[in-house]
Amino acid sequence: MTFADPWDQKISAFLLSPSQFLATTTCESFLAELLHELRNDKASDQLKILIVSLLLEHPTILCPSSSVGEETALELLSVFSHTPQKSIILKCNVMLAITNVIICTSCLANHTKMAEDWLDFLFQMIQDTNDYRCGLSHQPIRATACECLREMETCSPGLLSQKLEALHLLKQQETTVLHQSYCMLYTLGLKNAIRILTTQKNVTDLEFKSILGGNEGFAWKSNQLGLTLLPINMMVHVPRLPPGLDCKELKSIMSSLLEESYLQTPISQSALLRELVEVVAMVPGLSPTLFKSQLLRLFGTADVSLMHATLFMKDTFTDSLFTAEDENFLLKRLVGTAQHPLLRISEKLFCMECILHFPENRPISSSGEESLPVLVTPRLAASLHPTVFNDSATMLCRLNLLCLVHLEADEGEADKGISYLLEHIMALLKIIDNDGSREVVVTSFRALFIFLMHFNGMKELSEKVIDKLCDMYSKHSRLAPNLIGLANRIQEHLNDPVWSVKLLIGLQKCIMEMPPLQLTIHNLSWHLKVLKRVAKEGQITQRNTIYLLLNILINSNLCERGNWQVGNAVLAVCRNLLEHPSIDQVFIELADLLQYISVHYDDTDIKEHARFYYTLLTNLSWEKLTGILAKGLDGGRAKERSHSAIMAENEGIASNLTVHKTNRHVLQLIKVQGEASQRSLESSEMLETTGEAKNWLEVYQGQFQTSGFGSEVTLRYSLTHAKDTDHLFDKVFTICLHFEMKDSNYAKVNDIHVPCVFRDRKPPEVQVKLKPFQPYPTTLCVSAIFTTQDGRSWHSRLPDVSVSFSEIFLPLPLPPNTSCECKEQVFDRIWEAAASGNPDKSAISLFCFKTGDESLTDLIKTHFQGYLITDQQSKRFWKVLFFLPPTCHVLLKITQAEDAIQVSIATDNWELLPFVNSYLQNITDHCSTTVTDG
Amino acid sequence: MSVRALWVVSHEKGESGKVRFSRRFPTVEFRAKSLAGTQYVAVPEDRVIPQLLLTELGLVDPDKSYVEARDDCARQHRSPAVELRLDGPGGRTLWPVLTVTQGVLILACLPLVEAPPVPRPPLPSLASVSQGLALLSGLQDFLCGPGGKPESDVLASRLAALPSVLLQVCPLGRPLDTPPPAGSVPASVAPSPGGAQKQPAWKAGVHRGRAVVSVALTEKVRSMQYSKNSQQDIWDVYGMVMCKCEVEGVLPNVIVTLTLPHNGSPLQDILVHPCVTSLDASLLTACSVDENDGSAFSGPYKFPFSPPLELFRLCSYTSQVPVPPILGSYKLKAEENHLKVNVVLKLHESVKNSFEYCDAHIPFFNQNLMGSVEVKVSSGQLEVSKEKNLLVWVLGQKFPKSREATLEGTVHFSGTVAGPTDPLCSGLTAYAKLHFRVPDLTLSGCCVDQHSVQVYSSAKPRIVTTRELVSSEYYIWNSTGDTPVSSGLMVL
Repeated sequence: MTFADPWDQKISAFLLSPSQFLATTTCESFLAELLHELRNDKASDQLKILIVSLLLEHPTILCPSSSVGEETALELLSVFSHTPQKSIILKCNVMLAITNVIICTSCLANHTKMAEDWLDFLFQMIQDTNDYRCGLSHQPIRATACECLREMETCSPGLLSQKLEALHLLKQQETTVLHQSYCMLYTLGLKNAIRILTTQKNVTDLEFKSILGGNEGFAWKSNQLGLTLLPINMMVHVPRLPPGLDCKELKSIMSSLLEESYLQTPISQSALLRELVEVVAMVPGLSPTLFKSQLLRLFGTADVSLMHATLFMKDTFTDSLFTAEDENFLLKRLVGTAQHPLLRISEKLFCMECILHFPENRPISSSGEESLPVLVTPRLAASLHPTVFNDSATMLCRLNLLCLVHLEADEGEADKGISYLLEHIMALLKIIDNDGSREVVVTSFRALFIFLMHFNGMKELSEKVIDKLCDMYSKHSRLAPNLIGLANRIQEHLNDPVWSVKLLIGLQKCIMEMPPLQLTIHNLSWHLKVLKRVAKEGQITQRNTIYLLLNILINSNLCERGNWQVGNAVLAVCRNLLEHPSIDQVFIELADLLQYISVHYDDTDIKEHARFYYTLLTNLSWEKLTGILAKGLDGGRAKERSHSAIMAENEGIASNLTVHKTNRHVLQLIKVQGEASQRSLESSEMLETTGEAKNWLEVYQGQFQTSGFGSEVTLRYSLTHAKDTDHLFDKVFTICLHFEMKDSNYAKVNDIHVPCVFRDRKPPEVQVKLKPFQPYPTTLCVSAIFTTQDGRSWHSRLPDVSVSFSEIFLPLPLPPNTSCECKEQVFDRIWEAAASGNPDKSAISLFCFKTGDESLTDLIKTHFQGYLITDQQSKRFWKVLFFLPPTCHVLLKITQAEDAIQVSIATDNWELLPFVNSYLQNITDHCSTTVTDG
Repeated sequence: MSVRALWVVSHEKGESGKVRFSRRFPTVEFRAKSLAGTQYVAVPEDRVIPQLLLTELGLVDPDKSYVEARDDCARQHRSPAVELRLDGPGGRTLWPVLTVTQGVLILACLPLVEAPPVPRPPLPSLASVSQGLALLSGLQDFLCGPGGKPESDVLASRLAALPSVLLQVCPLGRPLDTPPPAGSVPASVAPSPGGAQKQPAWKAGVHRGRAVVSVALTEKVRSMQYSKNSQQDIWDVYGMVMCKCEVEGVLPNVIVTLTLPHNGSPLQDILVHPCVTSLDASLLTACSVDENDGSAFSGPYKFPFSPPLELFRLCSYTSQVPVPPILGSYKLKAEENHLKVNVVLKLHESVKNSFEYCDAHIPFFNQNLMGSVEVKVSSGQLEVSKEKNLLVWVLGQKFPKSREATLEGTVHFSGTVAGPTDPLCSGLTAYAKLHFRVPDLTLSGCCVDQHSVQVYSSAKPRIVTTRELVSSEYYIWNSTGDTPVSSGLMVL
């Protein structure tokens, strides 16, 4: 278990978030690690299954390219063949992983050798019908092989189209439980082969027959169908073979498939039926009556997937298979099933969806929208009446259905039905009245929404509801957000403000009539919310609102208390009042109110804002006033609030300062090229360069006692405009750059402030200081808040900035005037320590590559210049040291051997080796390289 | 007909959700990507799944009374599928995510949409949806077992077994079968080597050993009684036949026949197990949502089938019976500080007076805790649970000879501590709930005669048949208070 535990952690960390996990390692090295462990004979099957599951579930993350995919699949194949015979489950998982890798990395689509071999291998495996050769214990492997082939055929339709005779024979021979697998594989192959044939012109009898008798190789080229194959009921034009083909053989195959369908599990049976329905739809010579013998069994089934397949059949064949009587019967069964006490809730909900999308033989409309089949009458649907005892989803679903039923019903019947539904709504509201839980409140408002969406036109009804809601509000003002939400949604969805306006008038009245005792601080915040919403409606007169506010302020101690939140909420109402079209009628009252607040309210901020509003009101025309208040974005997004909306919400200051969002990149950070970025190095004075021989390593290490020593990397970027930005952003000011790390390997980066960026000026340079905990490559998410010339504030994201491994390199942190000898001594000491395994995480490794003399010199110059400890050009020997904050070192000794360059690597943190390797690989990319682990 | 991903998420009270198990099917994802084209929305990483799911299911921020993302009235939760909003309102959405909630567990899967993604296709047009639902139902049975509430260690071991279960039933995202219900592995099964006869996929092997066929018929009766002129009392009965057949052979034939007494009302809404080989059209004609014309087929109901190895529900039905087995009346009168209670229960003469148990639970909600209870019963015993504000009237095995029993007296609520609450039962809205079981009885009169069970098999099996009547949601509402339902309701 000691081996397995770190793996368990690693695997669950990877599965929880591959992106976060891979931030601490590279995907190649992790993949290598996985494959390495799979080849480890000592690892248990259980661990290996876990490891395989990563490849099985995330093949595209671990194998980013087709070539890596192919290599990985090859590796897995060798793991498969080296796995002992008894490890059946592991073998099955490896097979699934190979299949997933091959399909998802497009090895199959690109017809690679590996895919071809794998396909042959699978086909070979399924030849062992009835386990004659490998025995019963191998059955799961055969089942898996069938499934893998089926998935490959699905993702590359037609692959098996020339093997149908062989598959048919296998299907006939197989008598174990795997019969189902063979049957499904054959049926899918058959359907796809016919589908391909429908794309051909002038299909002859011979061609048609030859698909059934096919016994050739895999049809790599016939793959013209592509993956975007829709089931045929989704198609406007069903692809069909020409009529008059001889279908005798196909017909008998279909009949035997149907007869044996009974041997399959219900889920597979339903899949089989769907495939067969598609075949019959494509072949005019086959009659839908083929299915007749199965219908009764299907009508009576308790299985929802079989019922669903029956509806698919109905949708495809309509009256060529289902008489009007059948249709009526099926619908009745469906209504019965939708409320059957023994089915699960989700199944019943699904049945109700099926009623609303019932495939009628003679549909009136086929828009795909919910619509009621004409056969569903109030009498038939009576059993689906919602009750307060239903769970909330069932209740809402039934209510929606019954609303449709009664909307369609004849007059007398409809009235009765609708009043039942109204009674139900009232029963729900009564529960809220009795302090129903939050869930009940939410469900009841959803029910109200459904009801009003259907019946808002009925004046009497909708007024009854309003009366009840107002009555409830006067008792439970906490319902304010629900009521406002309802008014908003109804207004949006109906494009008809009448009902919402009536509700709001009612609520306003309700608040006016409340006895003063009920206007407690707590309730007041709800009432102000409502009044704020009411003030938005041009059709509602606002005089009473203003009187009430003034009255409250004068006759209570609110002004003395000076609560900012309450003041803000009052001002939010005033703000909407300022925009009200009939402001003229209440001009003086509103001015009085604002003036009163600006004088008496004991909070400076509130006073000032009241004064500001007062000034706006008394100095500007209404047109100008609303123009300022409603100043939206270009493009007329009127809902966006601008600066003057500063007081519109009451949920803390942060949300008051409206910052506009733009989803496009406005600014970007570009790495400053040229000489190595400026390294931050606190020079330590105490280091003397003269004097007798010292232990320089101790001196060097002593520096780390100073906290913060050598812990930062400074990266330089220029802040420029992104491409194609709006002219609005040509000049931006007071930019605040905010950084988020994608992983936890770095300390938080402080915000950076830049005065301005103009498009036509030299871009300013910013220095980003990174403080690594672990010196791994990383990515910074950058966002900016800035102001444009018109004074609006904006928030925008910048393109992510990735920091490569080499960008974290620092030279040996010693003062600049340190002699070469000192440096070399430190280098040698660190090397020795690392070589002798001190500290524990030390490691030595070797990297080789081939290159010419000159290019080596160039390479050293471009990449290692600042990090050279010794440069013995003549001896063709170099020592290079990278310091990686906070305390890691990577040391390189580069020597030119006869036929290759050897890079010996030493480090005090072996976890860096994968990064070092890929770094070296990268910079020596043009040369052929070989890597040896040390 | 595949699912893209599958999750088991747990949410304990006061904690954020946690992914207990997840499985992605990359080849299905590969297809999803090419089917949806530019509309493709990738499945997010597991670390964000719980929050997204809990928001849609209304389970986040339980201490806040209104959160727009959770409580918006226009977001309709009336479908088995929800959409996950990956970037908040107005952003990309992942649809259709099917969910099943049981206790602290949420099971979810994402079926493949094999249709043009815009406009959003109706749920019934997607083949993968019913398959996904079946898969989730199977998983629910597998994880939670018949009790529905597994202990945490039991659950953990079942979760640990999920990968190998999925290897069998859904290796590459395409459901092949439903997971076996927990603890259903039958004893004495031999694997079946390929013989001449094809082995059904739903039967892992053949039975070896003594042949036994047991057929258990259970009827459940529900009722809402109001004792009011304005409100009709309602009741209904539904039945199910559970079978366990330990019979040799690959595909043994068994026929179970249900019979009704002379002039019994026909069985309706019959649903059968997929193993039933053929059905007579007349069996299916009676339907509860239809007008009954009296001429309907009333048996005998023959179900020929070839049984699976495990216990299974052969068929279910509903039935309309003329009277409820127990007719009750409940009267409450509020007087200062106490309630006068009167409950009368009458056992119908057609019902056998021999119960396994019969209790009436009479709870009092939205009151202070009970003080003194002065209540007498004419038969049976009374148990008082003061901390629950509950009277339990244990009627025992028999009603008195008169077939009528009375409970009468006063209950004082003198305490100052508030008792249990219920939003439905305010004021005088109150109920008594009956729990009873009568062995060897069905209300519809339906029965399975031992001799009518035919088994075509080499060994003659022992045949066991039982029947019982059990109450379910049997309420008697106080006739002096408001009833919490609309008057028009005709059915449960």
